[in-house]
Amino acid sequence: MNEYNFLANVTIGQHLPTGSALHRLDPRAKLLAFTLLVGVVSFTPTFSGNVVLLVVIAGLFAAARISFVYALRGLRPLLPWIAAFGVFQLLFTSGGGFIGATDCRPLSDWWIIGITTCSVKLVLVSTLRFFALYLLVGLLTFTTTTTELSHGAERLLSPLARFGVPAHELALVLTIALRFVPTLAQETERLVKAQVSRGADFGAGSRWRFVQRTRQMLPLLVPLFLNSLRRAEVLTQAMEARCYGGGQGRTHLIEVESTFWDYVALLGTALLCLLMLTTDFASLDSWLAHPTL
Amino acid sequence: MTDNAGSEQTHNPTIALTVAWILERDRDGWRRARQRAASALRSACHRASRIPERPFVCMIRVQTLSHTYKPESGRPITALRDVSLTIQPGEYVAIIGRNGSGKSTLAKHLNALLLPSAGRVTVDDMDTRATAHTWDIRSRVGMVFQDPDNQIVATVVEEDVAFGPENLGVPRDGIIQRIDEALRSVGLHEHRQRAPHLLSAGQRQRVAIAGVLAMRPRYLVLDEATAMLDPRGRRAVLDIARKLHEAGMAIIHITHFMEEAAEADRVIVLDDGEVALDSPTRAVFAHAGELQRLGLGLPPVARLAHRLHLTYPEVPAGWLTVDELVADVAGQHFDNERFYTEFEAQTSFSRTPLGNSINPQTRCEANRHRQETAPVIVVENLPHTYMAGTPLETTALQDVNLTVEQDEIVGLIGPTGSGKSTLLQHLNGLLRPQAGCVTVNGVDLTNPKLDLRQVRRTVGLLFQQPEDQLFERYVGDDIAFGPQARGLSLDEQRERVRWAMEAVGLDFEGFKDRLTFTLSGGERRKVALAGVLALRPRVLVLDEPTAGLDPASHREFLDWLTRFHQEASVPVVIATHNMDDIAQIADRVYVLAEGRTVASGTPREVFAQSQTLAGHGLGVPSTLEVMGRLRARGLAVRPDALTIEEAVAEIERVWIQDRRPVTLHNGAASNE
Repeated sequence: MNEYNFLANVTIGQHLPTGSALHRLDPRAKLLAFTLLVGVVSFTPTFSGNVVLLVVIAGLFAAARISFVYALRGLRPLLPWIAAFGVFQLLFTSGGGFIGATDCRPLSDWWIIGITTCSVKLVLVSTLRFFALYLLVGLLTFTTTTTELSHGAERLLSPLARFGVPAHELALVLTIALRFVPTLAQETERLVKAQVSRGADFGAGSRWRFVQRTRQMLPLLVPLFLNSLRRAEVLTQAMEARCYGGGQGRTHLIEVESTFWDYVALLGTALLCLLMLTTDFASLDSWLAHPTL
Repeated sequence: MTDNAGSEQTHNPTIALTVAWILERDRDGWRRARQRAASALRSACHRASRIPERPFVCMIRVQTLSHTYKPESGRPITALRDVSLTIQPGEYVAIIGRNGSGKSTLAKHLNALLLPSAGRVTVDDMDTRATAHTWDIRSRVGMVFQDPDNQIVATVVEEDVAFGPENLGVPRDGIIQRIDEALRSVGLHEHRQRAPHLLSAGQRQRVAIAGVLAMRPRYLVLDEATAMLDPRGRRAVLDIARKLHEAGMAIIHITHFMEEAAEADRVIVLDDGEVALDSPTRAVFAHAGELQRLGLGLPPVARLAHRLHLTYPEVPAGWLTVDELVADVAGQHFDNERFYTEFEAQTSFSRTPLGNSINPQTRCEANRHRQETAPVIVVENLPHTYMAGTPLETTALQDVNLTVEQDEIVGLIGPTGSGKSTLLQHLNGLLRPQAGCVTVNGVDLTNPKLDLRQVRRTVGLLFQQPEDQLFERYVGDDIAFGPQARGLSLDEQRERVRWAMEAVGLDFEGFKDRLTFTLSGGERRKVALAGVLALRPRVLVLDEPTAGLDPASHREFLDWLTRFHQEASVPVVIATHNMDDIAQIADRVYVLAEGRTVASGTPREVFAQSQTLAGHGLGVPSTLEVMGRLRARGLAVRPDALTIEEAVAEIERVWIQDRRPVTLHNGAASNE
């Protein structure tokens, strides 16, 4: 209905408090489990392995009592980019350097374009991977408030502070970034409408013409960037005016505590990861490619 | 810094204030709490003295302060020159001055956000240049900025309020206590778990104030903290400032609103980085001519008093608030009791009927058939729902009606969230009507096949803070953006840019090659306006065009708009929070509340319904407020004097009937 309603299409980053067991977990446990799952998605080079992971993620969504379809809807604006990326991979890589690449057979070989079974597989696997990662990030933000996230991250990283890891600063940056998402979304909407009122034509031409669409964005991006810099400057002063001077000597309103279930969840995730890495999905893949009964 | 929770209870104004609020009906309790807070503040300051042998100076002291900004390229800019002043604990000071006079720079020196280029600033005897004192100074001098969005750091209200105490290293129990008292002081305790972006702008600004109060400051600096708020939000912030002041906190309020400055006890006027005036409020506003010269003005009530004083030298010129004026005029000359009853008996003067003047039967179809007589804009029964079908669904408009005729300036008023912006966006096709009917220049916007770009060219829409939307390096290029997007020839583009720039009062040759980012805020706003005018719109729609302007630029803009409207014969729709603006320039007014048109008519008719307006958190122009209050005191003035001239005439009329029985002259009825 509304062409300039950006927030309606962005599902990631919202918090959906359904009060499930997943919501109640210690943010530290969720962050660790999330890291493990991201790791296992990145290290699963097989098609069937990624399908299994997506099924697992769908199961997690069910456990969190959040609609899987709702989460997938957020992917819609990204589809042209995913497709473009896929086409590039398909056409301009042989897929040979890819960890899962075995037994590559050329399907077409014309000029610099070489499509092999491996590049087809590469495209399939990376698309599935992208979906899985997107959904994982979604799941984390749907079930965890931004404050829980940043406090969890800060506490997780704080042991590393002695090695120079700026744990507190990273957590603060994360909080502020998330805090400004709705503000900048509103500002973007206002700028788009203002420029359209002056005759700008965002989104004219095909959704697939990247260069043209990017150039059209300049009247939006330039003011957005400048205003963000100005906001950052004021925010810095406002924080200093409230005695901000780094993480040293700060106390905390929010305290995080672990329960039995957090350890159970972590252990479960670790086991799953182990299982995923030891299962022989590669032969399942080749069976799928040449089904022999 | 340590937090000795035991003793601090007593010398903290916010706690005392909270206590006093609980005891609000108990006058003595309130006074005792105030006294206790004030004396505790004094002793706290003395206890904090680090150099006991020296007499301790418990105040903010600015001595021959100069400040020079040194940009990496270009000439250094001197923002403050030789400024000397003191601010005592518990004072209520307003700082006024035109844009760029150095107000904000001065404010930032009070809490060591900036350090003097020359001279000295001390806060309770601590030099701002001594880094050891920085945190102590900043927790004593709290600062609230203009845009609430740029000062809130957390995604939950109470966590944002906790930010200051956390930085000060207050233990967790102490933080919880401070959050509690700070949020109670600003009346947002029940919202402590909410996300700030879901609150209104006024509420967000109160969150920002609470965040500062949680540091338990002794001085509170409000740096144009009311500039972006609607009347209700502004009133709430001012009421909080007043209560904190009564509880012993010093308030330093920087503002462009003269009526806000009038609420302070003392006014400091800055001009070009120097202190031009620094006196008790009454004395400052006695210098009407001087203020005018400094790009400022008088609060509306003071303007009224000033005019009365010119005709009747026996009238004191010093009235600043409606209360003072009413008490003086009504108290001196009339027998209130008798007139009051008489007034009560006759208040049933005829009211303008609410709602629209259009026959509800009229549909879009009907309007298209009589185009030559049809109004420029017709909006009928328009609803709008954002994000329908998602968990974030909100209804912005329920049922709105609006017509704009060719020769009109139509005002649109309503509290934040009433749907004003949504309505404006329908007028140039940014939003399509979901139901109902919108016709602009005879084009039916409900037609799904319509090319909306055509509509956008004929309706120029200027958004809030339009200066933020400039994106080209050069002024001329930015203004040419619209004509260029239309594909006009270079000559024609140039011609339009020249016309638009001259229309807004920017010299074409002088400004077209200037860099946009080197312009002042006011000039940037003119450039943005020219960018809209370059489309040669047949209707001009403005959203809060005067927000954030200083009094002189404000007057200049309104004069320009009236002139442009007449000379270019372009109908204008203007949404604003400023009732005095509406009274001055609008031919007709629509009042929006909760997505409905709740009143419409001439400003005189609409503002006569002050009860309806007050119910929606809207005020009336100050002259009307004075008239209303005088009537309530039994004076037979007409209730609908819109301009200062009319108000003066009315007061003159009853004045000469001094001490004679005055029959209540029914001004409103005879006017219709």
